[in-house]
Amino acid sequence: MDQTLQHLVNGTVLGGTYALLGIGLTLVFGIMRVVNFTHGELYTFGAYMAYALVALLQLDFILSLVLATVLGIGLGAAIELLLLRPMRRADIDSVMLVMIGAALVLQNAEMWAWGGVAKLIPNPFPGEPLVLGPVSVLPLRLFVLAVAAALLLGFWLLLDRTRFGVAMRATFQDPETAALMGVRIGWVNTATFALGSGLAAAAGALLGPVFIVSPTMGDLVGLKAFAIVILGGLGSLPGATIGGFALGYVEEFAGGFVSTEYRDAFGFLLIILVLALRPQGLVPAKERIG
Amino acid sequence: MTSRRTLLLAGLAAPALARPGFAADPIKIGMTQPLTGAVAASGNYVANGAKIATEVLNRAGGVLGRPIELILEDNKSNPREAVASVEKLVLRDKVPVLIGAWSSTFTLAIMPKLVEYKVPMVVETSSASRITTSGNPWVFRIAPTSEMEAVAFAELLGKFDPPVRKIDFLSVNNDFGRGAAEKFTEALRAKGAAIGRTETMTPEATDLAAQITALKQSDGDTVFVTTGVEQLTLALRQAVEQRLGKRIVSTGGSFPDQLLANPLPAGNSSFHILFYAPWFPERAPHPQLAETYTAEWNKKGWEFAGLTEGFRGFDAMLTVVEAIRIAGEPEAEAIREALWQVKIPGVNGDISFVKEGPAGRESGQNRPNVSVVRLSEGKASLL
Amino acid sequence: MSGGESANRPGQFMGYALPWGFVALLALVPVVFPDPYLLAVLTSAGIFIIGAISLNLLLGYTGQLSLGHVAFFGLGAYASALATLGFDIAIGFGLRLQVAPQPVWVGFLAAILVAGGFGWLLGRLAFRVRGAFFVILTVCFAQVLRMVALNWVELTQGPMALIGIPGFALWWPGEGVVELTRKDQNYWLVLAVTVLAFLLVRQLVQSRFGRAMVALRANESLARSVGIRVTHYLTVAAVISAGIAGAAGSLFAHYTRIIDPDVFLFIYTVTMVIMVVTGGKGTLWGPVVGGFIFGLMPDLLRGTAPPEVQWVIYGAAMILFVMFLPRGIVPALQALLRRRAA
Repeated sequence: MDQTLQHLVNGTVLGGTYALLGIGLTLVFGIMRVVNFTHGELYTFGAYMAYALVALLQLDFILSLVLATVLGIGLGAAIELLLLRPMRRADIDSVMLVMIGAALVLQNAEMWAWGGVAKLIPNPFPGEPLVLGPVSVLPLRLFVLAVAAALLLGFWLLLDRTRFGVAMRATFQDPETAALMGVRIGWVNTATFALGSGLAAAAGALLGPVFIVSPTMGDLVGLKAFAIVILGGLGSLPGATIGGFALGYVEEFAGGFVSTEYRDAFGFLLIILVLALRPQGLVPAKERIG
Repeated sequence: MTSRRTLLLAGLAAPALARPGFAADPIKIGMTQPLTGAVAASGNYVANGAKIATEVLNRAGGVLGRPIELILEDNKSNPREAVASVEKLVLRDKVPVLIGAWSSTFTLAIMPKLVEYKVPMVVETSSASRITTSGNPWVFRIAPTSEMEAVAFAELLGKFDPPVRKIDFLSVNNDFGRGAAEKFTEALRAKGAAIGRTETMTPEATDLAAQITALKQSDGDTVFVTTGVEQLTLALRQAVEQRLGKRIVSTGGSFPDQLLANPLPAGNSSFHILFYAPWFPERAPHPQLAETYTAEWNKKGWEFAGLTEGFRGFDAMLTVVEAIRIAGEPEAEAIREALWQVKIPGVNGDISFVKEGPAGRESGQNRPNVSVVRLSEGKASLL
Repeated sequence: MSGGESANRPGQFMGYALPWGFVALLALVPVVFPDPYLLAVLTSAGIFIIGAISLNLLLGYTGQLSLGHVAFFGLGAYASALATLGFDIAIGFGLRLQVAPQPVWVGFLAAILVAGGFGWLLGRLAFRVRGAFFVILTVCFAQVLRMVALNWVELTQGPMALIGIPGFALWWPGEGVVELTRKDQNYWLVLAVTVLAFLLVRQLVQSRFGRAMVALRANESLARSVGIRVTHYLTVAAVISAGIAGAAGSLFAHYTRIIDPDVFLFIYTVTMVIMVVTGGKGTLWGPVVGGFIFGLMPDLLRGTAPPEVQWVIYGAAMILFVMFLPRGIVPALQALLRRRAA
């Protein structure tokens, strides 16, 4: 029982980070139909920026988080303008390959700039873990969970309640009609990609102090993020949230009770099952962003 | 041996201007390390150690009156590229001897090529036992196998208080982690310790909560963690986070250097099996040599913690150059013969090879030294 | 050059004389330039070109992008290695499956069959989904196989790797059946298999089957409406494509003599995909041309820049090729030739 409760807490905390990773990718895929292989690298970028700001410039962690997100938005906008905008008429495979190439460039540029040795961001909330009976969790983890929830809510409001959100949804449903109605599709795309990248960078900056900062930290994260997006049914924000938590719990409980050897395989098996049995994902299409 | 050491120190003392003029072509030594990809950090440390050794030896006059040239190739943390890098070194650069290749997987991938091209290789890091037991006469390993490490550690068991009664493992899912779990189980069971759970993690995993929660269920008192530096740091931090409450011992020479500047909360300490403890060069088997190595490294401004791995490249280079000196010529077969006669001091301790593997096709294996360092609140001390 | 669309004289020349002349030139390389490093690099690139040719069948002719193609390559490598090394595993209910070491040609066939079988499985499973779903499904498929190779230690030795895999054995003029150890022998073997794979794919795409696949790529619902059994064709394409990739994996296993779970690395798939796309997907020569460029690039870049920067150049080259020659080099050359002829 003790173990089950701790696994439940671990799974929730992990699911929160996964949801956070999933929303940025979902946004980009849902609206632009771009399978974004640079997502994991933006995550790495955010973490390194947070390291530079917190550990080298001695800035406040919250401020660094905001700055890293802004820098991530900037990098994302640059990628969109330089690589994606010229490729708007290209097929999905070509775009995917350009993104894989960009991911290779970003990862190795990161390694060139910072060296291969991992960096550590000091814990912004030092002190003892919170203990409740058999369960123990770091305050930092709860902070991550809270920020993830806030970002999810914020993005839902952005899409649902603002003019920009209407433009995004219109672009998603029918780009041509949206263009006729005066939506500037190009800028909607740039903004979407920049925001998605900003979310990835925010996730990296947020999780930097929880884990460790290294040039290859984005590899597994990129794959996991895809899993989450697929699980949720491509392009659905609530779906990505559910997908994130589903993956978190599956990995945690399967790892804890079945086998840690196959812990990371369960996620991929889950995707194969979902795609084979329910290709539309856990949340059906009509509830997607549109 | 003494003359060799004096030579090294002379090289260190000689001012740059007095560098002996080399008339002849350099003698090439090939090295393959993971300089990019997943395990690049360690690969670069080892490569740096070899670079220092090359400089020090060249200042002392090189070997056979010729300068030494280190040709370094990246194996990109992947076995196919490890093979490609060796083909480049042997076939294009025509190096007569190799150093490599960090991970056991890369080393094993290269080994058939050593037979094919008849070039000896000094293995500086890989720990899988079958590297030296599979009958490849071109392999000479200065790094300890997991078994040697486990046996050496078992001798120090009495120094732990409270004593080690029951052990668990948290191992990375590769030959390094699995090998260590197997050999430490054997060695410590022989000393009367009970064995609890073994949990594994993929090398890329960052969240180890499930594994640590599972380990909490065991009533063992000591967890052996075997993985690379990054994951070791993660494991230590997440163990504190979940209040694992067990003694943690890391194996294989990995040291969580980030915890020097950002220590774990007070009251948490960990133990690390190392092959060189750079805080105490004076307590190394050959203090002068260790101090030379440490001083040269620090002069470059490289990360202090890299010293715990960099010595592998340094010692490997000393070994190879000594073999070339004994061979009297930079020829592969002569160097292979000469490697059996190498007897030199290294940073880790004396280096010489004993035979292992099937008769007639033996590989060389060195008997390295092991020290256990205790890390507490950012301070290291020898056990 | 793709699909023999013209029967005029220059077309004939392009279709027969030029390719066979090219093959003859390649066959002469070990005689004219007996540099072992050159042969090693070309052999290694050749194995991936075979993989790229097989991927082209899926990507180029059916339009489905598989980012898990390395799964078949890896399956072939493991199947071939295990068949030649022999194994003895428990299969449940107290039963054991024992296989004694087999000759290499059995391993080669096993590689094709096992990879082809999994191709069928993936085909049944994956062609129910399209586009991005298919891509991600194939990525996951390769990942799961990697996890199995990593953890089914009894069969695969897991991360400890399968070592001591014998070299390819073949009848060799004047020597009888020998294990191929020399660089030139392995080079010729890989070249021969590449030519066979090329001819097989060419035969296929020029048949009724190939025309159906192209119709399918152009307009799936139309193809469906005129009675083309879409899933059937896709599955057959997946089986053949996987089988050829398995053969490439077998060559890889017997050439490097060691296999470990890293044979399923994602970057290997990326290498094959970029070879196909750079050369021109859906053209017979595309994977070959792209294969030479991206197969040789890492070795040409050696020593030119720090290792990280070499990767940056590799990634940038990928981006530039896809952005500026989106249909690939071969179609661009064809268009250029046509324009000059007109």
